Amino acid sequence: MDELEIKQDDAQEQEVVDTDVPLDKNVKLMSPGRMVARRFFRSKLSIIGLIMVISLFVFSFLGPLVYTRWGEIELDESGKTEYAVGSFTHTVNGVEYTIHQTTETHLKDNFLSPPSSEHILGTDDQGYDIFVRLMYGGRISLIVSFLSVFLITIIGVIMGGISGYFGGAIDNIIMRICDILMCLPGVPILLIISTILDSSNIDAKYRIYLLMIYLTFISWPGVARLVRGQILFLREQEYMVAAEAMGYSTSRKIFKHLVPNVMPQLIVQMSLSLGSMILYEATLSYLNLGVKAPYAAWGTMINIISTNQDILQNHWYVWMPAGVCIVIAVLGFNFVGDGLRDALDPKARR
Amino acid sequence: MLKYIVKRLAYAVLILLGVSMIIYFLIRLMPVDFIQSKVDAISQSAATVDQETVDAMYKMFGLGDNSFKGILNGYFGWLKALARFDLGTSFVYGVPVADKIVAHMGTSFTVALIATIFEFLIAIPLGITAATHQYSLRDYVVTILVMIGISLPSFFFGNMLKSWLSLKLGWFPPSGLTDASQSYTGAALILDYARHIFIPILTMVILSIGARMRMTRTNMLEVMNSDYIRTARAKGLKESVVINKHAFRNTLIPLVTSMAGLLPSLFSGAIITEQVFDLPGIGNIALQAMNRGDIPFIMGYNMFLAALSVIGVILADLMYAVVDPRVKLQ
Repeated sequence: MDELEIKQDDAQEQEVVDTDVPLDKNVKLMSPGRMVARRFFRSKLSIIGLIMVISLFVFSFLGPLVYTRWGEIELDESGKTEYAVGSFTHTVNGVEYTIHQTTETHLKDNFLSPPSSEHILGTDDQGYDIFVRLMYGGRISLIVSFLSVFLITIIGVIMGGISGYFGGAIDNIIMRICDILMCLPGVPILLIISTILDSSNIDAKYRIYLLMIYLTFISWPGVARLVRGQILFLREQEYMVAAEAMGYSTSRKIFKHLVPNVMPQLIVQMSLSLGSMILYEATLSYLNLGVKAPYAAWGTMINIISTNQDILQNHWYVWMPAGVCIVIAVLGFNFVGDGLRDALDPKARR
Repeated sequence: MLKYIVKRLAYAVLILLGVSMIIYFLIRLMPVDFIQSKVDAISQSAATVDQETVDAMYKMFGLGDNSFKGILNGYFGWLKALARFDLGTSFVYGVPVADKIVAHMGTSFTVALIATIFEFLIAIPLGITAATHQYSLRDYVVTILVMIGISLPSFFFGNMLKSWLSLKLGWFPPSGLTDASQSYTGAALILDYARHIFIPILTMVILSIGARMRMTRTNMLEVMNSDYIRTARAKGLKESVVINKHAFRNTLIPLVTSMAGLLPSLFSGAIITEQVFDLPGIGNIALQAMNRGDIPFIMGYNMFLAALSVIGVILADLMYAVVDPRVKLQ
């Protein structure tokens, strides 16, 4: 990739010389893409964000292939011994004896074991390995958020594009639908949808995907409004008059000439909403609406503490790592989104 | 102005009509026997609601009949009741939904209002210093800290604070609104409330500061680059006067507008935070009702939230015209 870019650069410089334009050789020509990339990588925060996101991807998609000691729903059945110490007094012939009693209980599953060499982050209240479940939870979060952001963008671009380009009655109808959808409360509506999914006995594994698909149907208005606003501005530009004069088809005008010019704003919007989608997914799983046991999701792993205060108080390794993963993911996407916004902004000074 | 408000209100009614349609038809996507089994489970576990009420609700919501005509009739029946502000009777709580919402709205509102006041008090100065010291160390530190705040999931951060401040250090009670074992009066009672809502408010403030601070920073930067600020500096005004008197007043426009838009949402309740700290706010009450399939409450609460957000948008637009004389409503 790197090499290719350098070659392209050379070719460009060659061209400059060929046309005999008296340009100083020190002036380096850069494509807009490279300028954006340079501005993006100049900011330390965006690099940090990128590293966070990439390492989470590596962790959750390559992790389970490398670290195969435990599976996602594999119980550690090595057993656990619990000791309960009790004492009581007993009087024999006027002499008081205190008897100490230790009860030894053997349990089948090795649950709530603290971090050790066997379990890097310990085991949860069922006996599942937390470290491995973090990886699988990351897969769910990343796949679900990418999928839903992708869908939201596609629906939003189509609706916003149509609405902004045609205007009039179509625009009115689409914008009114947007108004209605924007007034729908998010989590409560998802609670209803989750109950609907309950009633139709969906497999626990696919539940979250269906839920997020429903979510995309009510979240596209944001993107649609953004696209519409941009297109209303762009369609008055001279190059659109030129496109009209060339006799291009409507779909070509919308999707080849208008939408690419909305891309910068769209990319920023997408990377920022990736973070909020991860938060959404985690919240749903925390409320026990998304991924359900025995499958792992970051939110589900934190859900344990809402019923078990002992774990909240004494076993931080059960729920803290999942929360930290969520924060890393959301923060990473936010940093990248901010970096992209600054890099893509033509008015940016630095 | 009056004409504009009337127009907007009529328009709001149309939006709410659309919302009501979506909510009703979503509910009706559930099979009839599923609803029946949920209602049976409720009436068996807690005898708060008698058979008569359930039958009346079934009639009002048209729940028994799942044919197309039955659904349509059910929708219009519900709409008619809705127009009279009759949201039906909750299956779980056994009282009219509207009464239940009003009864628990106060707690949510108090917590949210205090949190919002602190949010503005902290976020605005932070945003201003970040903007006036753009690209300095201070700007970076503040930006990174508030970004972490935005990225924290409320259930995780709330539980973290709970386990640290109340379970480990024992400074604050972990859950609830009052200490049931004591019967406080007067100042002691208020102090008890304050101790209980401290961590929830702290959670909400830290999570929401980020968005407000960044909004202030962006607006402030925009204002600082405008010509009249250069003029103010050129005529030799002190930097503090330039920032606090000239620049800040224009930064206030979007802040005040968003505050007006925020006002109704203070009543809606924070579902997750209230659940974590077991506060008897409207969000927590609704979550419990919804988890058990209390259909009248689900529909009533959703309509309530939708109405609040419609009012919020109208208020924000009106406020915008009040604060910024350049804006003309039509």
